[in-house]
Amino acid sequence: MRPPRGRGFGRGGRGDGGGRSGGGGRGFGRGGDSGGRGGRGRGGGRTPRGRGGGRGGGRGGMKGGSKVVVVPHKHNGVFIAKAKEDALCTKNMVPGESVYGEKRISVQNEDGTKVEYRVWNPFRSKLAAAVLGGVDNIWIAPGTRVLYLGAASGTTVSHVSDIVGPTGLVYAVEFSHRSGRDLVNMAKKRTNVIPIIEDARHPARYRMLVGMVDVIFSDVAQPDQARILALNASYFLKNGGHFVISIKANCIDSTMPAEAVFASEVEKLKADQFKPSEQVTLEPFERDHACVVGGYRMPKKQKGTS
Amino acid sequence: MSSLRNAIQRRAHKERAQPESRKKFGLLEKHKDYIVRAKAFHQKEETIRKLKEKASFRNPDEFYFKMINSKTVDGIHRPKPEANKYTEDELMLLKTKDMGYILQGIQSEKKKIEKLSSMLHELDNKRPNKHVYFAEDREEVKEIQSRIEQKSSSLGLDNIPSRIKRKTASSYRELEERKQRVQKLEKLYADMALQKELKKPGRKRKLREDEIENQTSRPVYKWRAQRKR
Repeated sequence: MRPPRGRGFGRGGRGDGGGRSGGGGRGFGRGGDSGGRGGRGRGGGRTPRGRGGGRGGGRGGMKGGSKVVVVPHKHNGVFIAKAKEDALCTKNMVPGESVYGEKRISVQNEDGTKVEYRVWNPFRSKLAAAVLGGVDNIWIAPGTRVLYLGAASGTTVSHVSDIVGPTGLVYAVEFSHRSGRDLVNMAKKRTNVIPIIEDARHPARYRMLVGMVDVIFSDVAQPDQARILALNASYFLKNGGHFVISIKANCIDSTMPAEAVFASEVEKLKADQFKPSEQVTLEPFERDHACVVGGYRMPKKQKGTS
Repeated sequence: MSSLRNAIQRRAHKERAQPESRKKFGLLEKHKDYIVRAKAFHQKEETIRKLKEKASFRNPDEFYFKMINSKTVDGIHRPKPEANKYTEDELMLLKTKDMGYILQGIQSEKKKIEKLSSMLHELDNKRPNKHVYFAEDREEVKEIQSRIEQKSSSLGLDNIPSRIKRKTASSYRELEERKQRVQKLEKLYADMALQKELKKPGRKRKLREDEIENQTSRPVYKWRAQRKR
């Protein structure tokens, strides 16, 4: 009695609106119930079809669409995948490749083109944790140039490179040769990443490699990280550019409470022509970490003269 | 032919019933009932005959070691209890092996939890973190406040088909189950470790309840400090 499951799936996927066995828009949902031909089966098929009307944006169609839903996040270039996983992800620049063993999600569009997304693990990336923490603006968007201090093995850098896309650029600075090796290997496959194995304390050493940038992301976890950021900003960050800095309270002063450390760091930043706009703690993912976002040499606001 | 014969109605055959006077004996026994009864009877008869035969051919000198190594207790055969099959060292080794097995389980569960939680970010839940805005003056404060109120609108995640929601929910359930399993295994591991330590030589005593600084429901032991060379 039951129609072959595979065929039902294919038909629903093509979306030709059914056939003899009762117009299931999406055979996948219907394959489960035993009736199929009866009125019940038909009703079951209708619900997903209603959803199909509202499809658009980054959501996949066809076969992929039946298993996973990908919608754009508030931040440009970041996506949310809902399926077996419930995850933040970015569009993979190099389809078919994982950088650090993360999961990939493939979605087929209505016109048959395939798009691949990579799951962005907030336990390994402070930027992802900040995004999940609800930061208003990360300033990293498609087409921006980013200076990334403390790139380590390039796990987060790979996602930043996904976000800025082929029109953007990421300068990734890392001091350690060991993790720098992974960074360079990652950059081989991504044309928009420029790895720099240098000490971020001495931006003069790599000033020839780096142009003006729109955003500096700093994840150096050093006691003098505010100074490092200011130094790099004075060299490379455009006026009115932005910074994102991740602060690990223990690395700066392990005796003070975390909140006090964050406050003192924010004060230091303010003294260096930075204008912090918001701060989020990275609570469920990291302990005693905060991410501060703001602008650099922001234009003076006109005081209301009227 | 037979079909034609069947077409004609015949007088219904009636079975004889138990007469009223013999009703106390139950239903009237028919031949096929008798056969079943007789067969069962003869089987029992045969069994008894065989047993009698065996008893008559018994060897009075027959002996097996099981006859002295085991006994019947309340009609149940029990082997003789073996005292100290393993030495103390061997027992210790066995305990270590058991603990190793549990530890392996813990580690594999933890790995699976890590894998699951890397792709389950609880996007719909409220986060426990803190979000601070920095403003220069009062106007900016008002601006930010109005922006926050607007922001609360959700991200187009309302029309997700229910089967995907179900999938996500089952993933979360799996994660939760694994976390609980790890908790149980870790407790078990701690218990086993304590038992093992207690088996080792060294003077120790169980602390009384008023001696424990951080109250727990579990037993707490204290070892006599011993100088190690």
